[in-house]
Order: sequence, then structure tokens, then C-alpha cells
Amino acid sequence: MDAELYYEVTNLLHYEAFLLDNRRYEEWLDLLTDDIVYRMPVRVTREVRDGSDVVDDMAYFEESKVSLTTRVKRLRTTSAWAEDPPPRTRHLITNIMIEERMKDDELKVRSNFLVLRSRSHDIESEQLYGERIDVLRQVDGRWKIAERRIIPDQAILSAKNISMFL
Amino acid sequence: MHTGSQQASVVGNSLYDQVKEKLEQGLFPQWIQTDPQIFDLEIKNIFGRTWQFLGHESELKKPGDFVTRWMVNDPVLMVKNEQGEIKAFLNSCTHRGTHLCTADFGNRKTFTCPFHGWSFNLDGELIGIVAGNKIYGEAMDKSEWGLRPIPRVESYRGLIFGSLDPNVMPLEEYLGGLKWYWDIFLTRSDGGMEVRGVPHRWVVNTNWKMTLENFGGDPYHVPTSHKSTVELGISPSHPLYSSFGHQVVLEHGHCVNVNVAAPGSSSPPYQGLPEEMWPMFERNLTKEQLEIFKKCTVIVGSCFPSLSFHCPIHGSEGHLHNYLTLRVWRPLGPTKVEIWSWFLIDKSAPEEYKEAAYKGYISSFGPSGTLEQDDTEIWVRVADASKASMARDKQLNYNNLLNYMMGMGKIEPDETFPGPGTAYPTCYVDYAFRGIHKYWFELMAEDLKKIPVQA
Ligand code: FES
Ligand SMILES: [Fe+2]
Repeated sequence: MDAELYYEVTNLLHYEAFLLDNRRYEEWLDLLTDDIVYRMPVRVTREVRDGSDVVDDMAYFEESKVSLTTRVKRLRTTSAWAEDPPPRTRHLITNIMIEERMKDDELKVRSNFLVLRSRSHDIESEQLYGERIDVLRQVDGRWKIAERRIIPDQAILSAKNISMFL
Repeated sequence: MHTGSQQASVVGNSLYDQVKEKLEQGLFPQWIQTDPQIFDLEIKNIFGRTWQFLGHESELKKPGDFVTRWMVNDPVLMVKNEQGEIKAFLNSCTHRGTHLCTADFGNRKTFTCPFHGWSFNLDGELIGIVAGNKIYGEAMDKSEWGLRPIPRVESYRGLIFGSLDPNVMPLEEYLGGLKWYWDIFLTRSDGGMEVRGVPHRWVVNTNWKMTLENFGGDPYHVPTSHKSTVELGISPSHPLYSSFGHQVVLEHGHCVNVNVAAPGSSSPPYQGLPEEMWPMFERNLTKEQLEIFKKCTVIVGSCFPSLSFHCPIHGSEGHLHNYLTLRVWRPLGPTKVEIWSWFLIDKSAPEEYKEAAYKGYISSFGPSGTLEQDDTEIWVRVADASKASMARDKQLNYNNLLNYMMGMGKIEPDETFPGPGTAYPTCYVDYAFRGIHKYWFELMAEDLKKIPVQA
């Protein structure tokens, strides 16, 4: 992997985090391909011999570009109470790793996320954390997110809702 | 109308007298909402004496399948034994109390404790003790050391419940008229409902009564709390849209709301379920149930104390679909609830429909649901503003009484409604809440009598 490619990928994921934390959701949608598959399966506690502790049959997000756009439009209404007054979020994206060049124009990229949220008068912040496995695709010379699989580390989410994107 | 503070001095000496008087007026002392002493009494008197939902039969398919659950803070291990019967035990080793199985689900022939190695079979019997014969000798009778069963486990059409009270009334008697409404979605299709995947679980800083009430009797919150979906054109724009239909008050604090479309507008028959399923409905339901099911848009309610159900029509990407969500409000503290939310759909629905209904659920309910996001925000606001000196003043010096008076003495029951219970001809009434409060009071009464107002 060349350094320039790694720079392009990290820059994209950092820029995405910047857009989300600054509530620039329409620009964020623009980073996603029209056929994006955006999922967040449920994490559970299982014994090792029982196999994977990610349950793909149930998800917190099961989204397409259309449904993500609806979610963004909702946030732009006058009555999305969970996000108005807006809680402050910080998407900390680390451990970015290009795992595989799947095709000339497609990369499989892993990253870790820690999203901190400070809401209203709450003294304590809420947090969600885990791993993301993305497929990035080059569209008209730009990398876009074509697939995102968000794996939370929490089997019981300690946030009252997922009103943000991860 | 709020009651003036001058009335505070005329109530009796115990909390029993005060609460009784206020509830009869449709008022709910705000201090009850998040009071720590009340919370402990609720765990003892309510969660210790009623039925709590443990899971759905479809979560345990073959012998050896297990799930772990909680009855408030009692860990529960629920298994299907070799005979196909469902058993539930305290998930705690009988030797020294170790949390026996910490996995959420799986399949086992035996459960072996990681502390000293005692093992138990699917009937909870102690079948193996490491070095047992040598160390315990003849004094050890293994049959005395089996897993401790949850005192009562009963199910109704696939819904499995447990009770800590060995003398609790039978589940079916406890559910009473609720069964008639549940049958509409539980028995409408051949094969009934099945759970997809695992429940969503998340924690919300609010009180369990808040969440139970919200699903049980609050269609009034819908146009405001969920206004964003009205603005988006996902929900109807009629300002009273969630009022149409009936609110039904049942025994033991249970309640259900059967919503219909606003007059002049229409909703798809049978909640938009595919036409190929209609003959099943007509075969499986009574004429009266069918009539209600055909017209309804939402069936939503609560089974006291900690189970709610919601069978709506919701959409994703412009298509409307029906599904069932069951949820448990597990109290973790006066202002902490762990929510468990299951998605269910008819086993016999077409596969594409099941998939679309699942997406409709994810987009509307669960932690990321566009409706539920705002619900949890508001439930937290109620708890946040109800836990300090003024709200918690037991002498009611601050008019800390909440308004549950809607429809009181104004809206009369609709005697022509075919279902059991007392049905009111609109969902914008607080009869369901008052029914919840009445049963809450009945279970709490003995202890309330012992607490002076000054406490
Ligand atoms: S505590 Fe389980 S074997 Fe000792
Ligand atoms: Fe709601």
C-alpha cells in the first residue's frame, strides 16, 4: 500500500467525522455511494465455542441511501427533539487500516470509533464505541463509502438512543 | 385544575391516604415517580408479586436451546429440555452462588459452573460434582442441590412469563381481557408470530412507570413528540390523528389502545398485510376481532408491570408495513431502565414482507428508530425534572401533582365495543393511566399505610 493512498483514505474518514460533528449531514450523504449498504448489527455475549458474537439477523441500522436521506431530513425538521437542542458529539476515528484492495477501485478499510456525546445538562457523557468495516469505492476520481458495517462493542448500549450516525 | 397547597395539610397521616385521595382526583403525586424508597417497595410488592415477561417460544427452538434473562436483578436461565418443555431457573450455581451462564443464548446439554465445576442438566438437576464421591461421601444428596426454579413459569400463546411469587394467580387469569386483544396479532396467522434475531437492549435514564405508561395510554403524545414524522409526511397530518379509535382499560393495570384512521381518511385493511394472508385471518379470528383488526392502524398497550406491545403500520422508503414489537422495561433504579425490544412478524408471512417489515421496525422503533429516538429523549426529561426537592416533596407543598385527568367524568364508555374491558370511544383519555395507577396502588397499599407523610 502506498502512503498516498493511505493519506487519501484517512483524510476521507477524518473529513467524514468532521462533517458529522458539525451537523453537515447533506455533505455527509454526498460521501456515500447511491447504493450504499449501511448496517449496524447487534453485538451479544456468547461463549467462544458457540461462534460469532455479532448477530447479523438484527441490527441497529439497516440503511440504504434513501433511508439515510430520510433520517437526515428528519433532523432538519423543527421537531426532532432528540437532536434539538443539539447534543454535542465527537467522532474519534482511529486505527485506520487498509485491509485489502478488492478491485482497482475498491478498498476494504477498517477503523475504530469512539463517539462521545454531551447532552443538555448531563454531567456525564454518553459513549458508543466499536469497529467499522468499510468498502470504499472510487467514483469520478473520489473515494466514497459504498459499504459500512458498524460493530458495536456494547451488547447493551449505554446511550439512550442512536440519533447520530456512526 | 391543580389542587392548592392548602389542601396538603388536610390529607391523612399516611402516604396511603394522600395517594388514594389524589389518584381518585386524577392527580399523581410527582414524588412517586422517582422516589428511591418507593422504588424499593415497587421491586418488592410489584415485581415480586406479578408476572414478568421472559421471552418468546420461538427463541427456544430445539432441546438444549437457552437464553439468559433478568427479572429485575435476578438472573434467569431459561432452557428447553429434552421433552421440549420450557424451564426457567435462577441463573446462580447452588454451590456458592456463581452466575452460572453469562452467555446471552446458545445450546447446551449441560451447564457447568466455572468455579468448582458442578454441572446441571436441562432440568436443572445437579448431575456432576468434581471429586464428589470422595469429598462429600454419602451425606451429599445431589437431588437436593439442583438449580432453583423460578417459582412459576407459564406461557400464553408463545409468550413466556415468570413470577417470583409461588402463590401468584395463574397467568391466564392475570392477563384477563388482554388475551382477547393479543389474540388478534398472536393468532391471526397460521403458525403465529416469531422473533427475528435477538432483542435490542439499551439503557435509558428514566423511571419504569414512565415507559409503561407511554405505551399503555399515551396516544396523546404522538402528534407532538413525533411531530418530526408528521413534518416528513410519514405520519398523518390530522392534529387528532392518534385519538381515533378506542382506549380500553383492563384488569390488573393492563391497557390497550386500538387506533383507527381519521374519519374520511382510510387505512389499508388488516394493517396492510398481504392479501394472500387475509383468508388466514378470517379463519383464525372471531368476527368481532376481525372487525377490529380490519380497520385498525395501531394496537398498542401495556401488560402491567413491565411488558408493552406495539403492533403498528410503519414504513421505510415509502412502503407501509406491519410488525409487532414487544418490550420489557427492566427497572435498574428509580431513574434507570434497561429496554429490551423484540421484533416479531408472522411466521407464515411472505419472506419479502418479513424483510420489509423488519426494515420498517428498524427505521421507526428501537434505539435508532426515528420515533423512539424522541421518546427516549422526552422520558429522560421527565425523570430529570422529577427528582429533586420540589418534585419529591411528600407533603405536596409545591403543587407537585401531575395531571392525569383527561376525559375524567366527561367521556363515557362505549358499550357497543365488542372487546372485553371498559372501552372509551377515543384514545385521548387518561383512563388507561388511571387503571395503571389503581393497580399500582392496590399492590403498594399495605406499605404506603406504614409511611407517614412527613417521611
Ligand atoms: S460455585 Fe459453582 S461449583 Fe462452586
Ligand atoms: Fe412515542
